[in-house]
Amino acid sequence: MREAAQADARREFEERLAECGPLAFRVARGVLRNTADAEDVAQEALLRAYKSFDRLRDRNRFRGWLVRISFRLALDRLRSAKRREQRDTLWAKPEHVPPVANAEEIAASNQFQGHLDRALEELPEKFRLVLLLSAMDGYTIEEIASMIAVPLGTVKSRIFIARKKLAEKLRCYANTINMR
Amino acid sequence: MLCEHDKHALIEVAASGATLQGELRPHLGECASCRSTFDEERSLFSAIDSGLHASANAEVPSSLLPRVRAQLDEVVAPRFRWLQPLVFGSASVALAFAVFLMARPHHATPEEIAKHAPEVVPAPTVPATSKNPEGTSPEGTQSAAIPVRHSHAARNSTDRHFSASSNPEVLVPPDEREGLARFVATLNQRRDFAAAFLAQRPEKKDALVTVDPLQIPDIEIKPLEGTETEASDGAGEKH
Repeated sequence: MREAAQADARREFEERLAECGPLAFRVARGVLRNTADAEDVAQEALLRAYKSFDRLRDRNRFRGWLVRISFRLALDRLRSAKRREQRDTLWAKPEHVPPVANAEEIAASNQFQGHLDRALEELPEKFRLVLLLSAMDGYTIEEIASMIAVPLGTVKSRIFIARKKLAEKLRCYANTINMR
Repeated sequence: MLCEHDKHALIEVAASGATLQGELRPHLGECASCRSTFDEERSLFSAIDSGLHASANAEVPSSLLPRVRAQLDEVVAPRFRWLQPLVFGSASVALAFAVFLMARPHHATPEEIAKHAPEVVPAPTVPATSKNPEGTSPEGTQSAAIPVRHSHAARNSTDRHFSASSNPEVLVPPDEREGLARFVATLNQRRDFAAAFLAQRPEKKDALVTVDPLQIPDIEIKPLEGTETEASDGAGEKH
């Protein structure tokens, strides 16, 4: 009886995994901007979601639930990485070394992207999550509102405010950088 | 002033991504400054959107889903996870209570001690002719257990085991046992003798020991017989 219920839960979870796995990864990648870290975080988020899957009564909220788990885990990892970096800097005081990136990230990066990433980090979490989700392919604003259980108007206003905040921070770089 | 107001409105339009409407559209055709500002703002928001899109739509590693599936196999989702701490907690409390009960010192009242005092029952006499059938006892001695019967029932199996294992065993040689049996038989036959034997002796107070001086009578020295004869004989020879 119990094994059958577990098998059902496993099957149901696997059906959602193909769609929601990339979503969890992209949310983490948007926060961390590092593919390897984002993969670890997405994996952990999916495992946590699976362990608590039987406690989720409304399965239609699975995507938003998973997005929040992944977003929270990514923020935690980003903060701990920053603390570690500060601690290392205090002890060793090395020269400023840019974070290690793979070839894909090196190819995609430019000066503006660095400024954008820093500006994104300074955004409040509620604006950052909505902005990340709105930038992803395949999700409309209505779907985002349903996903994070926020009214449609709130999502629109958050996107608008977030973009304006980013523009305020990046305007001083607009004339000096080679925008893509 | 009018241009500054229009610039602010142009930034709002660029941020919202909407198209120019109303008075702004003809003004943009006339004012090169505002047109330039609007173009810069649109470029800026376009760059932001482009950067966000690149960041948010990174290619998903192909190893992600297989890794997650592999870990799902190792995870056993416990349905009654909340029950485990409850069971462990209850078991711990019960165990601690049992240990407390066993380790608690038992304070018995004097009445209870007197009531629980063991009653010694004389051991049945073993016939002198009986032999140890197994021959496990050492040669010349046999073990005879003196049973100790407790007047109270044992409270639990532990006490019972302890009392049974603590019965004293007295090793009595067969000849001594035979002599004791004869002595008891004699006592049974002669009650008066037994009463006299078991009666308490009157206490004797220790008297002071006095040492009398030795009485030595006067010594009378008598001459030995024949001494005069020898003396006269000797004188006769000298002469």
